[in-house]
Amino acid sequence: MTQPTSARTILKARGLSKHYGGVVALDSVDMDLHEGEVLAVVGDNGAGKSTLIKVLTGAISKTAGTVEMYGQEVQINTPTDAKAAGMETVYQDLALVNELSITKNMYLGRELLRKDFTGRLFGALDFARMDTEVRALFQKLDIRIVDIYREAAAFSGGQRQAVALAKTVMFGKRIAILDEPTAALGVRESQMAMNLVRSLKDHGLSVIMITHNMQHVMNYCDRVMVLRLGRLAAVRDVKDVDGDTLVGLITGTTEDKAA
Amino acid sequence: MSDMSQNSSTQVSTPAPVGRSIDLLKHQFQQIWQVLAALVLIYLVFFVLSEPFRSLDTLLSIFGQASILAILACGTTVVLISGGLDLSVGSIFAVVGVIVGIALAEYQLPAPVAVLIGLGAGALLGALNGTVQVLTGVPAFIVTLGGLTAYKGMAEILASGRDLSRFPDSFQVLGSGYLVPMLIMFGVALLTGLFLTKTRLGNHAFAIGGNEEVARLSGVNVRKSRIYYYMIGGLLAATAAILEIAKLNFAMPSRGQSYELFAIAAVVIGGTSLFGGRGGVGKTLIGMLIMQTIIVGLSYLGVSTSVQRIAIGIIIIAAVYWDVWRRSSR
Repeated sequence: MTQPTSARTILKARGLSKHYGGVVALDSVDMDLHEGEVLAVVGDNGAGKSTLIKVLTGAISKTAGTVEMYGQEVQINTPTDAKAAGMETVYQDLALVNELSITKNMYLGRELLRKDFTGRLFGALDFARMDTEVRALFQKLDIRIVDIYREAAAFSGGQRQAVALAKTVMFGKRIAILDEPTAALGVRESQMAMNLVRSLKDHGLSVIMITHNMQHVMNYCDRVMVLRLGRLAAVRDVKDVDGDTLVGLITGTTEDKAA
Repeated sequence: MSDMSQNSSTQVSTPAPVGRSIDLLKHQFQQIWQVLAALVLIYLVFFVLSEPFRSLDTLLSIFGQASILAILACGTTVVLISGGLDLSVGSIFAVVGVIVGIALAEYQLPAPVAVLIGLGAGALLGALNGTVQVLTGVPAFIVTLGGLTAYKGMAEILASGRDLSRFPDSFQVLGSGYLVPMLIMFGVALLTGLFLTKTRLGNHAFAIGGNEEVARLSGVNVRKSRIYYYMIGGLLAATAAILEIAKLNFAMPSRGQSYELFAIAAVVIGGTSLFGGRGGVGKTLIGMLIMQTIIVGLSYLGVSTSVQRIAIGIIIIAAVYWDVWRRSSR
């Protein structure tokens, strides 16, 4: 694994494992994330991609393993711990609540309270401030959604994904973790979403992205890690690998010589 | 193709930040106008069919009969929006009635103290429902079905061998006439509405009822919030119980029977989703008025109580069918 020495390692996970009874979903996987990169996580169905991300972000508890950020060991046991550590995650199909407005979705779990006594005493929400912030951010990211108080169910897949990605910009301090950001999106909407992923980088976030789309790996990612049957099969710089090799690594027909 | 049209439609619209409050009002009215129209229509039908129905007294008695159940139903609204279910509020109603009765008739406590004890007991029993669910993972239906019989038994034990009647005037004021319960109903509905729409905990009810997993992953403390919603349900059941025993001037463990079902019926008729995530107390008030109008109207037409029950049953099923149909047509 050849890495430019200038890139700092922001996140270092060692021996991540998840067992469901006798079933090993994730088997001692190591992973490094460098500052400012987009790291793709690829693998066949059931390879452990989603499990890896869920373990990393505290959505499910891990059986074994350690996680360090900037060389400091961190304990991430709940989604709240992950957020506190600066990790913002977009889960596939679990990004937005259909029944809530766009603004309420953006701030879910981190609502802004009014600064007067009603906020302190009753937890009264400051909708004006939240609306303003959301509009300003959407403008900055070129997300064209105007009716931010309409419920999320009213928007298209691409718009919903844009909102979910905007949430990582608003709250992600260090790392954005994306589980198949373009699944179920059309060609044009995928393009829009991937441009947003690229702009996450410009906003100072390092990105971990699960994807099935080799084109996206080649065009938008810096490094790629391949999972197979719950194990780490390979890690490559994207510039050193081509699509066919990658598919070979995913299916197991190409063995990783570097590892 | 659908991508294209979606995209172009978002691109032509221009920001309109000033229209927020007007748009919101419009949005709320759109949600409520159908049930409101149904209420007016049902009222007019009975107005035409029955001569005695046309008096102001009838209208007042509809509000009067609706008020106590509507207060209970406000709590049920909160619980249902959060994706929960509380079948035990009728029994909480009975226990609280008996406890307040004992405090007044046996211990001669001042009315405000008795009321506070009753409210506390209701909140506690509601919170117990929520806590048991959160800790054991047993579904709401089962836990609160258990609560339904357990709390009822508790009320019977507490009441046995006691004469719980003849309360002081200062207490009876709470249930006198139509006006006081009606004012309390509007007060409770207003507070519950503010809670649901303006506060963090209230908004989390919609989030949890809409998609519990997304709420959890977003950092919402789902378990703690749930306990609060059941606590509010218990608190409002207690409020309703206090008004009723003040009105009747006696307390009995058999009171409150099936009230939870009437409350759920009113909530659903009003248009709050039985599946959580959508709804409001305004709708519940209208739903309760619809139900009471039908009950009062049918009795003016000489229809027996048993047939009224059949009618209400059919309306409940129709209301839920409508909810299911709306969901699938999205």
